[in-house]
Amino acid sequence: MAFISTGYDPKQPMKDRITDIGPRHFEEFYPPVVKKNKGKWLYHEILKPGVLVHVSETGDELYTVRVGGARLMSVTHIREICEIADKYCDGHLRFTTRNNIEFLVSDKSRLEPLIEDLNTRKFDGGSFKFPVGGTGAGVTNIVHTQGWVHCHTPATDASGPVKAAMDVLFDDFQNMRLPAHVRVSLACCLNMCGAVHCSDIAILGYHRKPPMVDNEYLDKMCEIPLAIAACPTSAIKPKKVTMEDGTEVKSVEVNRERCMFCGNCYTMCPSLPLADKEGDGIVIMVGGKVSNRISSPKFSKVAVAFIPNEAPRWPTMTDVIKKILEVYAADARKYERLGEWAERIGWERFFEKCDLEFSHHLIDDFRDPAYYTWRQTSNFKF
Amino acid sequence: MAKHDTPLLDQLESGPWPSFVSDLKQEAEVRAKNEKNVEYQIPQDVVEDLLGVLELSFKDGTTHWKHGGIVGVFGYGGGVIGRYCDQPQQFPGVAHFHTMRVNQPAGKFYTSDYLRKLCDLWEFRGSGLTNMHGSTGDIVLLGTTTPQLEEIFYELTHDFNQDLGGSGSNLRTPSDCVGQARCEYACYDTQDLCHHLTNEYQDELHRPAFPYKFKFKFDGCPNCCVASIARSDLSFIGTWKDDIRIDQDAVKGYVDGNLKPNGGAHAGRDWGPFDIVKEVVGLCPTECMRYENGKLEINNRECTRCMHCINVMPRALRPGKVKGCSLLAGAKAPIVDGAQMASLIVPFIEVNKEDGYQAIKDVIEKIWDWWMEEGKNRERLGELMKRQGLQKLIEVLEIDPVPQHVQEPRHNPYIFWKEEEVTGGWDRDVNEFRKHHQR
Amino acid sequence: MEYEEAKQLIIDGLTKKSKSKSKFYFSDLAKILDMKPRAAKKFVNQMVTEEILEFWSSGSTSMYGLKGMGKQAAAEHED
Repeated sequence: MAFISTGYDPKQPMKDRITDIGPRHFEEFYPPVVKKNKGKWLYHEILKPGVLVHVSETGDELYTVRVGGARLMSVTHIREICEIADKYCDGHLRFTTRNNIEFLVSDKSRLEPLIEDLNTRKFDGGSFKFPVGGTGAGVTNIVHTQGWVHCHTPATDASGPVKAAMDVLFDDFQNMRLPAHVRVSLACCLNMCGAVHCSDIAILGYHRKPPMVDNEYLDKMCEIPLAIAACPTSAIKPKKVTMEDGTEVKSVEVNRERCMFCGNCYTMCPSLPLADKEGDGIVIMVGGKVSNRISSPKFSKVAVAFIPNEAPRWPTMTDVIKKILEVYAADARKYERLGEWAERIGWERFFEKCDLEFSHHLIDDFRDPAYYTWRQTSNFKF
Repeated sequence: MAKHDTPLLDQLESGPWPSFVSDLKQEAEVRAKNEKNVEYQIPQDVVEDLLGVLELSFKDGTTHWKHGGIVGVFGYGGGVIGRYCDQPQQFPGVAHFHTMRVNQPAGKFYTSDYLRKLCDLWEFRGSGLTNMHGSTGDIVLLGTTTPQLEEIFYELTHDFNQDLGGSGSNLRTPSDCVGQARCEYACYDTQDLCHHLTNEYQDELHRPAFPYKFKFKFDGCPNCCVASIARSDLSFIGTWKDDIRIDQDAVKGYVDGNLKPNGGAHAGRDWGPFDIVKEVVGLCPTECMRYENGKLEINNRECTRCMHCINVMPRALRPGKVKGCSLLAGAKAPIVDGAQMASLIVPFIEVNKEDGYQAIKDVIEKIWDWWMEEGKNRERLGELMKRQGLQKLIEVLEIDPVPQHVQEPRHNPYIFWKEEEVTGGWDRDVNEFRKHHQR
Repeated sequence: MEYEEAKQLIIDGLTKKSKSKSKFYFSDLAKILDMKPRAAKKFVNQMVTEEILEFWSSGSTSMYGLKGMGKQAAAEHED
């Protein structure tokens, strides 16, 4: 494999350099019907799960077929998406914020053949390539982070638990029976590259062991002031350590009680690894939302403090999620989001109905806002 | 024949949801066969080795990646995330596995031509694996070697008219909802504003001089489909000032059962016949609606524009015509102080394309000047707001405090009065005081 | 301040501290120059273009250092 140059010359990096041009202009990618009707849409309707029609004041109609996708996607798969878009949509498509793919059709006669085609395409292993769904009062695709595929501080995988969870939730991806829509998100550590903190159900990777200190190599690989500065809780201090052979090395000491397990020190200093099979696992948080509909946006709350990583299918985690979802589906009123339902029945009832254990881990003790989560009334349910 | 056995990953091939494992295997096979005679610029078995290292993680429950901070493209302080495998001998194909963030087009509309061309480039110079899309919104090209970074950047800028996205202490790649392109609720052109500001602030996006990351997100209406209120330092939420437009005939259509409430969003269960009093009027959080004698009335002055009634009856109700957006500031997800929701700073601002969104840019630049000077290293805007107070930000923006800025007034009277606010100032003559008060 | 003066100030400032660390936040550079961040940025960027300074990124945060200095290059096998 010979190196093929584009013409870039590392000795003259600024030669012919083009910078600061930004993204492509969105209008280049609009289907004609969007260009024509932008800002003129009157209303929409979900014809069946995953299929929408938008109607314009010009009378034009735009049909959208929404399909789920693993956000980790190969070029072969993307080319297949392109082939479908060429066949039915004059080469137009879009992606949603939640990693769904949307095929856009302006000619109704192409709609059913498109759906039929999508439903027949499967991977060799048997899973759907393009499951139609993800609309209305159901579960749509899970937004997530990199996990073990690419990240250096994850406490769990991302693609694996998402696949396991979506298999369990699949019926609700293709149905709209829930009281309101349910947004599920995953972040593989507390740095939350995927913001899961306002999701109906959040899956969060969490470390529980402070970093190990690789004293022998630390000073060779890391700049100690940077490792110290990386810690958000100031738990790292410089320390001279005497090795077994009597040599003294510069290193650091971690105040373990102060560690919040974020891994930021490991980012700065590879001699402070914290990942651990027994230490790492998953926190389940529930009841968040971002919409302003009826009630204000809400943060998710911790419902289960720890679930071990059970690769490849995380059965304890998927059981908990399924259980919460089913209790919510049966008990909540129409339009009630998961968090609104939990607040109406009271969190004491939520734990009872979902058969979840309440432990001291679920009482907030992190800085000032903790106080406002304690019960400051004599009103509660037995 | 697969290079590594993957018994654990293989268990993720079954089940209905699209299997990323099947997709990775498919890509590994395409590369192994190389029917198109691509002169792969990174190891041909890169995907095999990724499957191998991922299987190892599934077995030992820990990651095998190390962070790299040096790699990037010349002159840019963002857009590339360095990544190295901690078992390079076992998995040489992914020894170097850097990510590039490519700035997605606003609205995430694509043509197949563009995507195919991008696939060709990424198959040739990278792993052929992507994220469509990353959490912030970028197209993420997952896995290539250091020498390829400049080559890819060169091709993107020269042949694709396409730039990288942000990372590090930069403006992060802004993102938006589908907006007016395909949504009747959108109160401003999210795509145009997103694209315009992305281009206006390219220097901030590529050359880090902020204390930490800074995110813009554009939601066309208070439904907040891109979650701007929860995850952007500056959140643009479409809104309107005048009356919700009502089509009483369509209201009747819903009441009579001729139109599908919620645009059909609840069709998966029999919830009984649509009850406008219970489902719309009764759930209105401000109780500003009335349904009498077959007519729906809204006391618009009391409406807080939560979107519920509009969501339930999209054919009967539409946002008003005097549209703009609300600006909220300071949202973020994690550490140090925990999650923060955005706080309202400008209740209504015009979204004026004609003058290049000047009113909005004025706000942005005042905020940045304040945060760049006062923000500590790695302090998000929301944390600075917490430390110095919302008052300070309002002062910086030169806007008047209004009750809309708070959920409720302060719970304590410990007001930090300023000297100039108190008649006569703070300097007093103690001897004058003593004339009337004995020691 | 002229560019050459700013350049020398930064080189001297960072070299002085190079025994303990080689990576600095942008605000450290602005402080060395005693300038407002936006004004300092122009000089800092020019030093990057002239290959005197280079970036280091944690992914979430960015830092600056004199090119080739420090331990990161060796630790990341990019030396």
